[in-house]
Amino acid sequence: MAQSTAAVKKRKGVLGGLALLAIIAGLCWSLLIAPPDGYQGEVQRIMYLHLPSILTAYLSYFLVFIGSGMYLWKREKKDDLLAHAAAELGVLFTALTIVEGSIWGKPTWGVWWTWDARLTLTAILLLIYAGYLMLRSLIDDEQRAASAAAILGIIGFFDIPLIHMSVYWWRTLHQPPSILRPDKKPWENVHPDMLTALAISFVGFLLLYFYLLSLRYRVGEMRQEIKALRLERGV
Amino acid sequence: MGPWGFVSLAYGIVCAVIVLYWLLLKRRYRQAEAELNRLKSSEAVNSHDKG
Repeated sequence: MAQSTAAVKKRKGVLGGLALLAIIAGLCWSLLIAPPDGYQGEVQRIMYLHLPSILTAYLSYFLVFIGSGMYLWKREKKDDLLAHAAAELGVLFTALTIVEGSIWGKPTWGVWWTWDARLTLTAILLLIYAGYLMLRSLIDDEQRAASAAAILGIIGFFDIPLIHMSVYWWRTLHQPPSILRPDKKPWENVHPDMLTALAISFVGFLLLYFYLLSLRYRVGEMRQEIKALRLERGV
Repeated sequence: MGPWGFVSLAYGIVCAVIVLYWLLLKRRYRQAEAELNRLKSSEAVNSHDKG
């Protein structure tokens, strides 16, 4: 048991180390090697944070969706723990995306914030999952809290296709995708060094995400064990 | 603020927030681990006394 705990800790350490290396490589490529954008100049470098942040948030909400669905179906605590951990990280990465977008918006659009369809829907996504976390802390009965949060976690996920399609469905200030375009391959539209910087940054964010998720999941797991031990003793 | 100012602000905020979250998460992890170990060790002492 002690050996397996040490092995798990070692794996987490390796994952954290790899994440740090990928992030440093991503920073170097994004800030030093990738060329400035022809239209936007140097501020376009915020894209190397902005895109990986929102894609990581989407991945996180997908895990909330899966974990919530599995919990409602099988009622296993591990699925609820996964959904809860992923929701917390989803909120973190969505908040970062909005802040980065705001800083990018000021020199590009002249405003820190505008009620554009994509921005508004992303803010709604943040509010839904912040509400998810609040809901869990407001309901005392643990099973009821988990069920209510799971329903909200599933409903909230349907905001993501709306965010993705918003730039096509409405006249928005937010630009349509430059990389994942249906009419052009990424390498036909974007400089290879820009694509490399984006790919490395994305790998760094993914590794960091799974490292943080493993820590956050284990915190939830340990809290459950503590609760069970206390119940056993009637503390 | 010039273009590099906006870039630095964005990268600085992201780094600071992630490091802060990581530190807080590590603290929660250590607190839970210490509490769990304490409960487990007292359980082991109790079972040993009963034995």
